[in-house]
Amino acid sequence: MNAFEIVVYPFLFAAIYFEVFLLVTLLSASKKKAPVPESLLPRVAVIVPCWNEESTISATTDSLLALSYPKDKLRIVLVNDGSTDRTGEMLESYASNPQVKVVHQENGGKFAAVNFGIQNAGGADLIGCLDADSFVEPNALREMIPYFDDATIAAVTPAMSVHKPKNILEHMQHAEFVLGIALRYILAVVNGLYVAPGPFSLYRRRVFDELGGFKYGYQTEDMEMALRVQKAGYAIASAPSARVYTKVMRTVPTLLKQRTRWTSGFLLNMIHDYWSLVGNPRYGALGLLVLPLAFFSIVGGLVVAGIALYHVIESIVRTVSVTYGVPLSYTLMPRFSLEWSSLPVTGILLLSLLAMLGSIFFIILGKRVSQTPGHLGCGVILYIFVYALVAPLWLARSVVEVTTGAKLSWRNTDARF
Amino acid sequence: MPLFSRNSLIALAITLAIIATVFFAVEYLNRQRVAELRAIEDQLATNTLSLETQFALLAEAPCEDLASGTGLSQEVGGIGDRLAAAEEQLGKTDPEVVRLKERYTLLQIRDYLLAERIERTCDINPIVVLYFYSNVPGECADCDRAGYALSYLRQTYPSLRVYSFDYHLDLAALKTLIGMEKIEGRFPAFVIENKRSYGFTTLEEFEKAFPDELFESATTSTSTPR
Repeated sequence: MNAFEIVVYPFLFAAIYFEVFLLVTLLSASKKKAPVPESLLPRVAVIVPCWNEESTISATTDSLLALSYPKDKLRIVLVNDGSTDRTGEMLESYASNPQVKVVHQENGGKFAAVNFGIQNAGGADLIGCLDADSFVEPNALREMIPYFDDATIAAVTPAMSVHKPKNILEHMQHAEFVLGIALRYILAVVNGLYVAPGPFSLYRRRVFDELGGFKYGYQTEDMEMALRVQKAGYAIASAPSARVYTKVMRTVPTLLKQRTRWTSGFLLNMIHDYWSLVGNPRYGALGLLVLPLAFFSIVGGLVVAGIALYHVIESIVRTVSVTYGVPLSYTLMPRFSLEWSSLPVTGILLLSLLAMLGSIFFIILGKRVSQTPGHLGCGVILYIFVYALVAPLWLARSVVEVTTGAKLSWRNTDARF
Repeated sequence: MPLFSRNSLIALAITLAIIATVFFAVEYLNRQRVAELRAIEDQLATNTLSLETQFALLAEAPCEDLASGTGLSQEVGGIGDRLAAAEEQLGKTDPEVVRLKERYTLLQIRDYLLAERIERTCDINPIVVLYFYSNVPGECADCDRAGYALSYLRQTYPSLRVYSFDYHLDLAALKTLIGMEKIEGRFPAFVIENKRSYGFTTLEEFEKAFPDELFESATTSTSTPR
């Protein structure tokens, strides 16, 4: 076994072990919950924090108003977080709707806007948060309510999807989000979720009364809140049939910026405030498996990418050096052998293929449990081949930011969460 | 037992079983590769015997029957490629690979000697290159480039005969050949038309060591050197 194999095998083992664990746990995943009768539905307030969202806020608000939910039990709180465009004006156009409450505050950041919204939520039993660049399907809220039948459930997450993906990055993120639906669906069985995403997660009101409102959380306030909920001994459920569409990054620089923020937020939250959860048997799957593997995957992604990059560069340099001076017609001549014995079959190759097949299986599973419309073929291929190329970039940037203490940039330019 | 603990243990058992199966499959494939090497060894033995026979026949056979060469050169080249693949898959120190390499080296030496004898007896002048390389790390920085250039020349000029030898292979016949050709431990080393040379700079420079007849034969080949 060479040095490369010694480094790579532990990460492959971890990846396959995690996938097998998910498969085994899938067998215990709960079936769809029975709907709650209309008369028993709780009062809900959905907070929409807005900062310069003039292009998307109407679609977001309209989708909330179209929710299949008793109007007297649903309040929509639109919070203008000191927008400098026409957002405030557009929000005011909804103020006459009895279901809608529009409030304004000086720019204080998303967490402050959501907290201001909670203060204006009236007597709601459940508080939902919806990013202003996302919109919900009419049955989404009704699909989430039944999961609160268990008193330990503090929050429920929906199935996030990309609406009509167009370019390569959107297709890739579409497949990634569908994979995320499957992972949340399964990990929720063992209470292994550590983030309740901004696009339409639903919380019990008393959780905020007991644990406090949202915090800065190193720009990942939804992750910080989920970790706080877990630390307090509550559980987070997943409702894969509750669909919310969200806008995703369309360019590599904005994608890098967003994912760097997520990864750095995770690392900083864990290192500074929630390290006690890692490896702690009290937190079951979250403490013993999910969080350690999340760290391990960051290290693994960087190490494997570093080794692969080294080998690619070395191979290019060697090929150029060896073939220099020899006519390209000879160098580019295809050479392959039909003999099976010449196939480069190694343990690393086979285990990598297995891990890749596992990912494809979970993407298909995510599509099935969430009934996500459309085709995913293109997205799956892009996810398998492109994601591995770009992910190390934000992992490296995050690690540099966290270790050097570089100041994180605040807003994203083309999406909010 | 809690669900998480139970599932963790089941997943661990299944993962270990998967990894063991993968290792077993790779090991099985490697064993098959070794079996394949043994088949090549048999082929080498047959070829060596064939060369011996041709040696014996040379005294009797008219030169025109040998003008086309021993007929083994292309085959020897093909076995060389498979040997290189086996080295890549099983490692340069695998005993089976080393044994095969020794037999292949012997076959090359026999073919070379036969070519020399035909040249003397029948006035046929094949262009022959003896190429000595080293696999010892750091000992031959230019061997990869030299080997690639020779592969290109062999492909472009089919009349060129290339015999490649691992200088450090522990084989008495090879050591005798090294002694006969007075090859020093500097790499890459070449004997081109009975002239020794060391080192490799560029293909253009390297080609100057070959006689013009080689390049005149290019009219029959499919590609043209730069």
